[in-house]
Amino acid sequence: MLEWIARYQRPLQIGGTTLGIILLLVLITVLPPSVIQSSIRFSTPFILGSLAALLASRAGVLNLAIEGKMLLGAFIAVIVLYRPDLPPEATPVNPLWGVLAAGIAGGVLGFIFAVLYLQIRINLIVLALALNLFVANATVFFMRVRFDVFGTLADPSITGLPTITIPLIQDIPVVGTVFSGYNFIVYLSWLMVAVIWAVMYRTRFGRHIRAVGENKEAAESVGINVTQVQIFALTLSGMLAGVAGSFLSLGVLSQFLENMTAGRGWIALTVAIFAINRPIPAFFTSLFFGLAESVGLYVDRVEAITLPPNLVQMFPQVATLGALVLVALRIRGSEVLRRRTFARDFGKQLDDLKNAVTGGKTATGD
Amino acid sequence: MTNAVEMRGMRKFFASSSTLAVDNVDFEVAQGEVHALVGENGAGKTTLMNILYGLIKPDEGEISIHGERASISHPDHAIQKGIGMVHQHFKLVPSFTIAENIMLGMEPNTAGFINGGSEAEQVRQLAESYGLPVDPNLRIQDASVGLQQRVEILKTLQRDARVLILDEPTAVLTPQEVRELYTVIRKLADSGRSIILITHKLPEVIAVADRLTVMRRGQVVGRDEVKNVTVRDIAAMMVGRQFILKVEKTPATPGKTVLEVENLLVADTKGLPAVMGTSLRLCAGEILGIAGISGNGQTELVEAIAGTRPIDGGHVRLLEQDITQHTVRERRDAGMAHVPEDRMTTGLNITTNLDENVIVSTYDAAPYSQRGFLRFPPIHQLAQRLIDTFKIKSAAVGQEVRMLSGGNLQKIVIGRELEGDPALIIANQPTRGVDVGSIEFVHQTLVQARDNGAAILLVSVELDEIIALSDRVAVMYEGRIVATLDIADVTEEKLGLLMAGSELPDEIPQQQEAAATT
Amino acid sequence: MKRLQGALENVSIPILATLLGLLVGSIFVGAAGVQPIEAYTRLFCEGFGSTDCDSFSDLIIVDIEDEDTGEIVRYFAPFYGDKGHSLGLGLERATPLILTALAATVAFKAGMFSIGMDGQFALGAVVAAFLGYWLPQQVYGVFGIEDPDTAGRVLFWAMRLTIPIIIMALAAFVGAWYSWIAGYLKVKLNVNELISTIILNAIAVQFVTYLLNGPLRADMNNVARTERIDDTAWLIPFNRTFLSDVNWFNGARLGIGLFIALLAGVLLWYYMWRSTRGYEQRMTQGSKLFARFGGISTDRAILRAMLISGALSGLAGSIQILGVERRMVDGFVLSGTGFDGVLIAVLARESIVAIYFIALLYSGLQLGSINLQFGDIPRQLGGMIIALIILFTAMESYFRELITRVRVRLMPPASPSTPQENPAGGD
Repeated sequence: MLEWIARYQRPLQIGGTTLGIILLLVLITVLPPSVIQSSIRFSTPFILGSLAALLASRAGVLNLAIEGKMLLGAFIAVIVLYRPDLPPEATPVNPLWGVLAAGIAGGVLGFIFAVLYLQIRINLIVLALALNLFVANATVFFMRVRFDVFGTLADPSITGLPTITIPLIQDIPVVGTVFSGYNFIVYLSWLMVAVIWAVMYRTRFGRHIRAVGENKEAAESVGINVTQVQIFALTLSGMLAGVAGSFLSLGVLSQFLENMTAGRGWIALTVAIFAINRPIPAFFTSLFFGLAESVGLYVDRVEAITLPPNLVQMFPQVATLGALVLVALRIRGSEVLRRRTFARDFGKQLDDLKNAVTGGKTATGD
Repeated sequence: MTNAVEMRGMRKFFASSSTLAVDNVDFEVAQGEVHALVGENGAGKTTLMNILYGLIKPDEGEISIHGERASISHPDHAIQKGIGMVHQHFKLVPSFTIAENIMLGMEPNTAGFINGGSEAEQVRQLAESYGLPVDPNLRIQDASVGLQQRVEILKTLQRDARVLILDEPTAVLTPQEVRELYTVIRKLADSGRSIILITHKLPEVIAVADRLTVMRRGQVVGRDEVKNVTVRDIAAMMVGRQFILKVEKTPATPGKTVLEVENLLVADTKGLPAVMGTSLRLCAGEILGIAGISGNGQTELVEAIAGTRPIDGGHVRLLEQDITQHTVRERRDAGMAHVPEDRMTTGLNITTNLDENVIVSTYDAAPYSQRGFLRFPPIHQLAQRLIDTFKIKSAAVGQEVRMLSGGNLQKIVIGRELEGDPALIIANQPTRGVDVGSIEFVHQTLVQARDNGAAILLVSVELDEIIALSDRVAVMYEGRIVATLDIADVTEEKLGLLMAGSELPDEIPQQQEAAATT
Repeated sequence: MKRLQGALENVSIPILATLLGLLVGSIFVGAAGVQPIEAYTRLFCEGFGSTDCDSFSDLIIVDIEDEDTGEIVRYFAPFYGDKGHSLGLGLERATPLILTALAATVAFKAGMFSIGMDGQFALGAVVAAFLGYWLPQQVYGVFGIEDPDTAGRVLFWAMRLTIPIIIMALAAFVGAWYSWIAGYLKVKLNVNELISTIILNAIAVQFVTYLLNGPLRADMNNVARTERIDDTAWLIPFNRTFLSDVNWFNGARLGIGLFIALLAGVLLWYYMWRSTRGYEQRMTQGSKLFARFGGISTDRAILRAMLISGALSGLAGSIQILGVERRMVDGFVLSGTGFDGVLIAVLARESIVAIYFIALLYSGLQLGSINLQFGDIPRQLGGMIIALIILFTAMESYFRELITRVRVRLMPPASPSTPQENPAGGD
C-alpha cells in the first residue's frame, strides 16, 4: 500500500485533481445557479483566510489566530460605518472604507501577534488561543459599552457592498451566473490569489518568506533579517484575515453578530493545510469548502433531499484529514520504497559477487 | 603587508554552560594564504570563527579586516566586510534551485520582482569563472553533498568574499570530492583570497594549508608555517602531551563468539543506503574497534545492532541467538548494553533527574518496580551505588542531571550500561567531549569489563582511542568494513589510508567486496 | 532554602500576572465608565464570595451578626454561605475544566501537543446525552415497565448505581478512541498532532451538531435539544438530595462529578509519577531517542497517553451532561471547554495541584463576569481579563530574562579567567 502510493504518486495526484475538477463541474451543472453563486460567496472568506494562513505558514509560523483576526476585521468594518445619529437623507460612509479599516485592523493585530510571538516569545498556541479569546470577548464588550446594543450591531448607516456586474460576461448563460454579480471583496479575493502567488514566487520578499519558512538558518546566513520577514508576513497575513472578516459583516448581511466567524478561521487554516500552502490549490480548495457550506444550506431547504447540512459541511473536513494522511503516506511510502529497492538491488549485487567469486573471476563492479 | 584578518584579545564566556569557550585569543590570517585552524572538538575553533562571522558576540577583543577596525555584530556586517563562511551543516533551502540559493538575499530585481532569467545566467557565469560548474536550475534537494558544498562556496564568492571560512569541509565528502575541494581551495588562495580552514583532521592540514593555528581549551597553543611541522607535532599541540593515550592492558584472551553480524543492510533516516553488506564477529573478552571517518555508516551499524534502527537485510546474532528482528528490550535482556554516541539526547534524558536516568532499561523489572509501580528505595540505592563506584563528582541521588559536566554525565551512562555485567557492550564515541581524567577512567573501565569476559564493540573517530583500546580494528568506509586488522599490525598510517578509502599495498580479501560494489 | 525560593517564584509569577491582567483590564473597565476598584470588587465577590460579599476582605473573613444574640461572629468566608456562596457555582464550572486540563496535561506529558479536547468533550457529551435516555428506556423495555415511576425500588437503585457508570465509561471510551486517531497518525505517519486535532475537532463539532439537529432531536423546540436524560442516569447534585438544606450551594449542580474530577487528578498523578507506564511516557516526552534506546516503546507510550487524554475529555463531557445539563442543547459544543482546558493545562505547567486552583480561578472569573452583566459591564470583561492573564503568564520567561538581564547589568558575574573543568558543551 505504502509502496504503491509512493510509486504512483504522480498519477494519483493528477487523478485526484482531475476527479475534483470533474466533481466541481458536475455539481455546477447539476445545482441551481443560486447555489453556485452562494457557494462562491461562502468561499470568499475561506480564500482570503487560507491565503492569510498559508502566507504565515510559509514564513514558518502556524497562524492559529486567524479566527480572532477575522472576527476583529468583521467588527471594525462595521463600526467604522456605524452612524446611528445620521439623518436619513445624508449619504452613509462608503462601505469600502470599512473593508480598508478591517484590513488595517487585521494587520495591526497580526503585527501585535508577530511581536508577541517573535520578540516576547510567548508560546504560539497559548498566544493564539488567548488572542482569539480576547477578540471574541472584546468585540462584544465594545458593542455593548460603546454602542449599547446586544447580540447584533446593525443600522441603516451600515450599507453593504454593492454588487458588481461585469458588462459582457453577465449575459453569457452559465458563465454569467458564475462570474458576474458579486461584490467587491469577492473579486478582490480572486485578485489576491494571483497577487499572493506572484508575491510568493516572483518577488524578493516572497522568496525570502519561503526561505525563512523552509530553512531559517539559510536565510539568516545570507543576511536576511528573519524576524523582520516573519513580522511582515504575519502583518500581511493579518490584513488578509481582516478583509476576510469584513466580507462576513459587510458582504452578506451588513451587520455584526456576536462571534460571527463561527470557526471559519479554523476552517481557513484547514484549507491551507489541504492545499499544502500553495495559493492556487488553496483557491480551489476554498471553492470546495464553500460549495459544501452552500450545499449544506441548500439540502436543508429542499424537502426532497434528506442529507443533513452538518454532514455535508463535515465532508471537506474529513477530506482534509484524508489528504493529510495521503501526503504523510506518500512521504513514508517513498522512504519504504527506497529502502526496499536498496535491499533488493543490494541483495542481487551480493549474489552476483558470490557467483563471480565462485566462478573464479575477479569481480569488476557494476 | 597588512593581514586580511586580525583578531586581538578575543574572549567569550558562555553563561549557560559556564564555559570560557574562547580565552584571550589572538588570531591572524595573511592575504592569499590557506590558514588551518586546528583543535579537538570543543577547543573553541568554531566559536572563534562564529565571532568573526558575526554569529556570536564576543565579550572582549577587537577585529581588523584588511587593517581596518571592524565591529561585526551580524553576518550582514561580515558579508559587507568580505567575509564568507561555509558552515559544517549547509545553510541551503532544499526546495530552491541552485541559482535561487546562491542569489538568496541579493536577487537581481526590478522593483522587487525577480528577474529569473538573468539570475540563472549570472550564476552560470559566476560558476564558470571560478571553474566550478553547476546547473543553476537543479534543486538543492536533488543535489549531492559535494555539489551542495560547491553551492555554498559559490554563495560566498557571489558576495565577493575575500576571506573564506570553511568549517570542517571534508567531513561529509567522498575522497574524490575532497581532492576536488583541495584544488578549489588552492585556486581561490592563488587568486588572492584568504581561506580559513577549521578542521581536526591533520592530514588535511598538511595537504592544503600554508600556516596553522592550534587551539586547545579556548586558547591558542601554537602557530607556525605548515612546512615546519609534522602531523605528530600538531597532534602533540592539540592534545597537550606527546601521544598520550596509553592504556594498561594485557593481551586479549578471546572466548566464545558473542556477536555475529552477517551481510547487514541498513538504510539511513532518508531511506538511503548507509550500511552495505557488513559482516563482523566479536568474541567474549576482546575489544573490536571500528575506525572510520564519521558518516561512513558507523552510526547506522551501531543503531542497527542496538535495535533502534530497522534492518533491511542480513542477520545479527547475539550469543548464537538471532536477534535481527528483536526489539531493543529483547536485545538488552539477551545481554546487550549500549553506550550511545550522543549522551545529551540518546544517552540521557536531561530534563529529568539522575534516578530516572539510571533505570531506563531496568525500570519495569524487580527490584525497581513491582506490579507496574516504581519502587524508590532500590532505585535510590542503585543511583547511590553508581555515584560511588564511578566517582561521579558533585552528583547526588535525585539530582537534575542537566547541571552535571560532560565527563560526569558520561560516567552515569557507562555506569548504567555496565550494571548487570552484559555480555556485549557497544561503546559509540565513549569519550567524546569528556575531560582527560574521565577519559582515562572510561578507558580503564572498558578494559576491566573486557577482562571480566565482556565483548566490546568500540566505535570511535579518534584514532588514538581505537589504537589504545582495541584488540582488533575494523575500518569502515562507505558503509562497508574494508579491512580488519590485528592490533599488532595496526599503525596510524595504515588506518589513515584505509579510512580514506585507499588500498593497502598488500591486498586484503575484503577489498574485493568493496571493489565489486562501488 | 533554594527549593523554597523556587516555590515562591512559581507562586508569585502567576499572581503577578493576574494582577497585571487586572490592571490592564481596568483600562477597559474605565472605558465602560465604571470605577475599576468597584468593578473588580463585584467581579471577585460574584465569582468567589458569598451572596452578601461587598469588599475584598469579605472574600476571606466575614463578620456576621447573630440575629438572636446580636453577637458578632467571624467566619472564614469560603465556609460561610447561609444565603448562598458563589464558590459552589465556581466548582460546578471548574469540574469539566479540571478534567479537560488533565486530559491536555497527560498528552503534553507524552510530548504530544494535542488540542483535541474540544472534539472529544463534544463526543463524550453526545454519547452521554443519548445513552442517558436511551439506555434506561431499553432496561425498562426489558423488564416490561411502561411508566418509569412504577419501577420497583430494587430495579431503580440497581439502575441508578450502574447506568451512570456505564455511560461515563462508554463516553470515556469514545473520547479515548477519537483521541487515539491523532496519536496513531503521529506515530505511524508523523502527522503533526496540532493540525490533526484541529481538524478532528471540527469534524466532531459538525458531527455532534448533526446528531443534535437530526436523529437525537427530541422536539420541535426553537433550539435543537435532546430528550432529557432519565433520572436513573442522573448524577444527582448533592443539594438536591441529602444536602438540600445547605444554602451554600446557591443552586450549584455540584455532585459526584467534582469528586470524580478530583480523584482523576490524584490517579493521574500516581500514574504519571509513580507507575512504570507513566515513567515510559515521561521519558518519551523528555527525549524520544533516549526512551527508544532504553527499550521503551515510545509509540505505545504515546498512544496510551492519547487514549487516557481522550478518555478524560470524554468523561468530562459525560459528567457535564449527566450531572449538570441533563440534556444537550444546540450550542453546547461551542462552549470551548476543551480549549479552556488546554489553556489551563499550559498555565498550570503540568502541575496537577495547580490545575485545581487555576481551573477554579478561571471559572470564578467567568462566573463573576456573568453576574456583572446585571450591572453596567458586559460579562465579556471576564473573558478579556482571562485572556490578558494568560498572556501575561505566558510572558513569564521573558520577564525572567528581563530580570536576569537587569541583574547582570547591575552586578556583572565574575567570569573565570581559566577555562572550566570539562565543559559539557559550548563549542
